[in-house]
Amino acid sequence: MIGSIVITLALSFSIISMIMYFLNYRGYKNTLNFGRISYHAMAVLVIVASAILLYSILTHQYQYKYIYSYSNNSLQDLGVFHLASSFWGGQEGSFMLWLLLTTIVGIILQSYASKRGDLEPRVMAVFTLVTSFLLVMVSPWFKNPFEYIWITPTFLKIEHLNSNFFHLPFIQQFFFTDQSNNQGFIQVNSEFVSLLSQAGVSINQFIIDGKGLNPQLLNFWMQIHPPILFTGFSMATVPFVFAIAALLKNDYKDWVRQAFPWLLAGMGILGLGIMLGGYWAYEMLGWGGYWAWDPVENSSLIPWLVGIAGIHTLLVQRKTQSQGGNGKYAKTNLILCVLTYILVLYSTFLTRSGVLGDASVHSFVDPGMVVYLFLLLFIGTFILLGFGMIAYRWKALNENVVSEENLLSRELALFTAMIVLIASAIIVLVGTSAPIFGQSVDTFFYNEMHIPLAIIIMFLNGLSLLIKWKKSDVNELIKKSIYSVSGALLFTLVLVIFGGVNDILMILLSFTTMLSLIVNFNIAVKIIKGNKKMLGAYVAHTGIALFILGVIGSAVYSDDIDINLEKGKTVSAFGYEMTFKEIYMIENNTKYAFNVHLKKGSTEHNVTPVMYMSDFNNSLMREPAILNLWTKDIYLSPLSYDEGNTDNNSTNHISLKKGELIEFENTTITFDRFNLSAETMQAMREGKDFQMSAILKIEKNKEISEVELLRKSVDGNITFTSFKSDELNLKIDLVNLTSSNIDVSISNADDQTKSNPILSVTASIKPFINLVWTGIVVMVSGFIISMLRRLKESMISS
Amino acid sequence: MKSKYIFGGIIIVVFLGLMMYLFTQSNIEYADDFAKVKSSEKTVKATGSWVKEKNYELNNKQKTFSFFMADDKGNEMKVIYEGTIPNNFESAVSVVVTGKYQNGYFHAKDILTKCPSKYEDQKTSSSSI
Repeated sequence: MIGSIVITLALSFSIISMIMYFLNYRGYKNTLNFGRISYHAMAVLVIVASAILLYSILTHQYQYKYIYSYSNNSLQDLGVFHLASSFWGGQEGSFMLWLLLTTIVGIILQSYASKRGDLEPRVMAVFTLVTSFLLVMVSPWFKNPFEYIWITPTFLKIEHLNSNFFHLPFIQQFFFTDQSNNQGFIQVNSEFVSLLSQAGVSINQFIIDGKGLNPQLLNFWMQIHPPILFTGFSMATVPFVFAIAALLKNDYKDWVRQAFPWLLAGMGILGLGIMLGGYWAYEMLGWGGYWAWDPVENSSLIPWLVGIAGIHTLLVQRKTQSQGGNGKYAKTNLILCVLTYILVLYSTFLTRSGVLGDASVHSFVDPGMVVYLFLLLFIGTFILLGFGMIAYRWKALNENVVSEENLLSRELALFTAMIVLIASAIIVLVGTSAPIFGQSVDTFFYNEMHIPLAIIIMFLNGLSLLIKWKKSDVNELIKKSIYSVSGALLFTLVLVIFGGVNDILMILLSFTTMLSLIVNFNIAVKIIKGNKKMLGAYVAHTGIALFILGVIGSAVYSDDIDINLEKGKTVSAFGYEMTFKEIYMIENNTKYAFNVHLKKGSTEHNVTPVMYMSDFNNSLMREPAILNLWTKDIYLSPLSYDEGNTDNNSTNHISLKKGELIEFENTTITFDRFNLSAETMQAMREGKDFQMSAILKIEKNKEISEVELLRKSVDGNITFTSFKSDELNLKIDLVNLTSSNIDVSISNADDQTKSNPILSVTASIKPFINLVWTGIVVMVSGFIISMLRRLKESMISS
Repeated sequence: MKSKYIFGGIIIVVFLGLMMYLFTQSNIEYADDFAKVKSSEKTVKATGSWVKEKNYELNNKQKTFSFFMADDKGNEMKVIYEGTIPNNFESAVSVVVTGKYQNGYFHAKDILTKCPSKYEDQKTSSSSI
C-alpha cells in the first residue's frame, strides 16, 4: 500500500516538475525553483519506492503479487544478491529498475544542464515527460510491483501456504485440486483475505513462500546484465532530450557538444550490457553461442547501432561547426538521436507487449491489452514529439555550410560509416519485426547480411583513420598505409595457408579486420606517447577489430561433436583425452555435477557440467562447463545421463490401456488384449500359483507379429517376462500388469549390453572466443575515454 | 556533395536489394494448422502443444528426440528433432518447431518452448473442483 502511495506521489511531482519547467521555458522566471524541487522530490520518492520494493523482497512479503511470482525463500540460501535480483526478475520490477535508473540519470542531467546556459528548463521539461510515462507504467493502474496478490483472484499452491491455518473453517470453500496431478491450490481473493483477517491471521503469515525465479537467471552475469542494460537505456534518453531542447530553441549549434558525452557514455554502457547478456547465454544456456539473433537480444542491439551511427555524424557536425553555421548533418543528427530513444521504446514494446508471442524464448508473458495500448501510446507520443518537432523546424535546419567534397576525406568516411551502421540496424529491425506480421527469418538472414557489412565497416575502420578531414593526397595515403596493408596481407596469407580459411568473404573480412586492427593500434600507441585525450576513438576501433577477429574464430571456425562418455573410459576429441570420472551432488544435494577429466600431453584439466531437475518448472536443466584457455574454449554441454542398468531409459516407461498404441522407432506397439482364462480366475481366487498375460501386436514395415508377456505369481512372488527381438532391435519388458492397464519398458535390443553409466555431451571448441569479450571491453573503455574528453569540451561555450 | 550521396545511395540500394532477396530466402511463416503443415513443402514454424498422453522419446543412439504435437483443432503429428530434449520442455504450454513435414514426420531443426509464468493459474482455472 505504502509503495503504491509513494509511486502515485512521485508521479504527481513528476508532472508538476514537467509543468513548472515548461512554464519556465515559456518565460515564467519564478517557476524554475519549483521545477527543481519537484524533480528532486520525485527522485527521492522513486528511490524510496525502490527501497521499499527491495526491502519487501528481502523480508519475503509475499502478499505482493510481484514478490510471490518472482521470489522465494530458497533464493536466500543462494545469497542476498540472488534474492535481490528478484527486483528485476519480472516485468513490473524491471520497469521499476528502468524508472529508478532514469531518475538517477535525471539528477545528474539536471546538475549538468543547470551549468550550461539556458539549457535546464527545456531539457528537464522533456526529461520529466519520460519519467512521467515510466511512473504511469509502474503506477497502481498498470504494472505496479506493489499490487496485492488478492486484487485479481489467484491460485496459490498449498506448499506456499502455512498449513497451521488450514484448520480454519472457511478454507475449504477456497480449496481446489488439479485432478491431473493432485496438486492442491487455494484461491486467494479479497473475500478470502477479509475472512482471514477476521480470523486474526494476516495474509503475510499465511503465504510463506513464493514461486521463485527461473534457475537460469540465477547467475552472476544475469544479476549485473539488467541493471547495466537499463542504465544504457536510461542514458539513451539524454541525447533525445537534448535534440528536442535544441529544436525548441531552434538553435542547433551547442546541443551537439552537450549531447556528445552522454551519447558516448550511454552507448558504451549499453554495449557492455548487451555483451553481458551474450556472456550469460554462453555460460548458462549451453547451446554454445553468445548471440542467437533472438528478438530480445536484437531489440537492444538496434538502438545501439543507431546510436553508434549518430556518434560518427555528430563528430562531423562538431568539426564543421568551426566554419560557422550549424555544421553538417544537422538534420541527420537530430533524427538519429531521436531515433535512438524511440528504438529503445520500440525494443520495450516488442519484448513487453506480447506481440512477439511465439517468436522468442524470453519474451515476457502477454501483459494484457491495457498495457499493450499504453506502450503504444508511450512510443507514439515520443515519435510524434521527436519527428513532429523535426518536421516543424525542417526549413530552419538548412546546413548553410559550403565545403568541397573529396572521395578521400575523413568526413565522407564517417558518413559512410553511419550509412553502413544504419543499414545494419535496418536489417536487424526488419528481421526482428517480421513476427508481428506473421513472418520470421532464419538466423542466416542476419549472418549473410552482416558479413559484407562487417567487411565494409572494417575497411572504413582502417582507412578513415589514416585519411585527413578535408582532402588526402593519394600518394601520401599509400605511403602511410603500406606497412599496415602489408601486415594485414601477411596475416591473411598465413590464415589462408595454415588456417584453412578458404571462403572469399571470410578472407576479405580477415584482411580488413586485420588492417583496421594494425592501423588503430598503431595510432593508439603513437598517441599514448603524445596527446592522450585523443585516444578514445582508436581504442574503441581496436576493440571492434579484436571483437570481429573473435567472432571469425569462434563462430565460423568452431567445431562440435556429440560424444558418449562411458564412466572411466577415455574418448578423444579435439586432441583432448576426455574421461568421465565421477558424478556427485552439489548445492545441498539438488544438482548433479559430472566430473570430466581432460588431458592433452602433460596438461590436465577438470571440468564439471551440471544437470538438475528444477522445482521451478519441473524440467531437467543443464549447465555447460567451459574450459577457458588462452587461445580457445573447450565447451562441454551435457545432453543426458544414463545410469547404465538394464531398464536404462526411464523415459520409455509407458503405461498402456487396452487398445492403446505406442510408437517406438518406426515400430508400432499395440496393447491388444489381456489373456485371462477361466482357470486363471479360479487359481487367483484360491490363492494358487497363476499367470496372466498381455498380448501385444507389433507392427514394423507393415509386418505384424503378436507377442505375449506374462505376469507369473509363484508362491506369492510375482515375476514378469520380457520380449526381445534382434531382428526388430526391440526389447519389451513387462513391468506391471493390473486389471486396467499394463506398464512396459521399451528399448533397443542392442542397448542391453551397457553396464557403465554414460554421460552424453556435446563437446565443442571455440577458437579465440576470448577476443570477443576482450574486444568489447576494449571498445567500451574507448567510449569512456572519448566521453571524458568530450565532457571537457562540452563546457566550452561557443 | 554529390559523391556523398552517390556513395551512400549505392550502399543503401545494394543492401536493400540483398536484404529483400535474403528475406524471401530465409523467410519462414508461422503455421498453426497442421493440415496445412503436412501438405506444405516449405519450411515452416509450426505452433501447437505437446500431446502429453503420448509421452516423448529420447533416442540416445540416433541422438533424436521425438514427440507428438497437436494444433488447436486437435490435428496431431509426430515431430522428430535431431538433438536432445530442450530445457523447460515438460512444462511448456506451447511449442514452436521449425522444419519441414516429410515422410510422415515433422523434421524439426529447432524447438522453442514457451513457459509463461502464469502457467499455473491458467491450468487450475480450467480444471474443475
